[in-house]
Amino acid sequence: MLVKAILIGLIGVFGNMDSRLLGRSNFEQPLVMSCLVGIVLGDLQKGLVVGVALELIFLGVVNIGAAAPPDMVLGSVIATAFAILSHTTAQMALTIALPVAIFGQMIGIVLRMFMATFSHMADKDIDAGKFKKARRYHIVWGPILYALMYFVPIFLAVYFGTGIVKSIVDVIPKWLTDGLNVASKVLPAFGFALLMQTMLSKKTVVYLLIGFFITAYGKLSVTAVAIFAVLMVLVMNEVLPKKPNSVASELADDDLEEL
Amino acid sequence: MTEEKMQVKPLNKKEQRHRFWSFFWRSYAIQASWNYEGQMNMGFLYGIAPTIDRLYPDAETDPEQMAKKKEAYKRHLALYNCTPQTSAFVLGLSSSMEEEYAKNPNEFNPESINAVKTSLMGPLSGVGDSFFQGTVRVLAFGLGLNFAKQGSILGPIIAMIISIIPSFLVTYYGGKFGYTAGNRFLKQLTAAGVMDRAMHLITIVGLMVIGSMIASMIGITTPIHMGKTFKLQSTLDTIFPEMIPLAVTFFMYWLLKKKVNTSWIMLLCIVGGIVLSVLGIFA
Repeated sequence: MLVKAILIGLIGVFGNMDSRLLGRSNFEQPLVMSCLVGIVLGDLQKGLVVGVALELIFLGVVNIGAAAPPDMVLGSVIATAFAILSHTTAQMALTIALPVAIFGQMIGIVLRMFMATFSHMADKDIDAGKFKKARRYHIVWGPILYALMYFVPIFLAVYFGTGIVKSIVDVIPKWLTDGLNVASKVLPAFGFALLMQTMLSKKTVVYLLIGFFITAYGKLSVTAVAIFAVLMVLVMNEVLPKKPNSVASELADDDLEEL
Repeated sequence: MTEEKMQVKPLNKKEQRHRFWSFFWRSYAIQASWNYEGQMNMGFLYGIAPTIDRLYPDAETDPEQMAKKKEAYKRHLALYNCTPQTSAFVLGLSSSMEEEYAKNPNEFNPESINAVKTSLMGPLSGVGDSFFQGTVRVLAFGLGLNFAKQGSILGPIIAMIISIIPSFLVTYYGGKFGYTAGNRFLKQLTAAGVMDRAMHLITIVGLMVIGSMIASMIGITTPIHMGKTFKLQSTLDTIFPEMIPLAVTFFMYWLLKKKVNTSWIMLLCIVGGIVLSVLGIFA
């Protein structure tokens, strides 16, 4: 059991590394994950059956932007292992997959918040001229923490039985889940503010607002706004007087200090 | 200008191929430290680091190069988020811009590099996510499911083959194209002496894209209501939609302008988010 628990934990780590290191090449999909778990546990057919059932649910889940969807890797690996080890049906596996996926989403949010501190540490290291150390947060510490986030729960669940997972999920209070959810919306606002810091000035704040209102009122996508922006800028290029060096130097001088 | 001009050797064939593969792998690995503040910022820095290191080789001995290198590293810690596959293009283009800046530090405004990144990441994620997460994935796994239902291991194998081929092509050739096209385009701009103007216009595009992202990607609302008739959110929406995300973003911007330590702001975001949610003010 120990060896199997370790191997299944590693499958979960591989599934997560798909989006961490392999450009989200779809190894993380339930069909692939469940199939791998089935092979390790010696029941490929059951793995495929559970995989098909889960894939049909998760095929609609799209990872876009900053939103964290239910964690299908954690859900499908633990649910498949549960179905094979306790000889239950694929339907039973589904009932365990969803709470586990939501549990995974929660620890995912916490981990992604924690990783923001790496940015600050990297910032300090760059100040100190330690470039190698600054790069390492991304390629060494990021994957290690993500790997642990998957390995530990999967290992514990398979080794001690899936009952333990369910009781942990039940203990988490709703206010904490909701609160973390709001916090995960506020943090991107901070990211956008950091971006604006280098680009925004008194004269250019109007462009930011144009982009904002087009989307807020018109519900147009970011792509649409970008297309309009490019076209608008091409028109401006025709209209603006051709005096090189005048526009940008003005731009650099004034900040939105009094705001 | 001439005396400050640095000599940056163009890459030879072998170095170039090496560079394109590095764009490829580093785009694939761009999410390794995905976080809520900068999103893929450290991933982008990791991706462009080889270019920067090459441009400022004497940073250890030359204080001027050291300052430039630090500046460049910090520049790429700014928020970034894009589909990994289409990121390679941005990485290639930004690398050619960093090279241009190193060659002509007086004519080239380095802030425009982030403006270009920002203008591209919105549309490229839009196109990239809907293509890879939508079309390719649904096609690949729709087909794979058919085989898997009959109990055949070919199911996941076919799904993976269909997934990987377009992902590989877009990532590799995206990086290559971004780098070579960027080089050519920037040379023309510098030659025509319209770099500043172009950069100003690019900044405008970048800001409009940020504005649009504030309206579409934050989505904070308020559940405050009195009885059944008064809902604060609908009142706010009649003034203008997405008011809270805009206000929160400008509040963060204001804090940054007041030089509040960024670690404190981050802590404020997390604790504040939880508290406001518990109090029933934000949802």
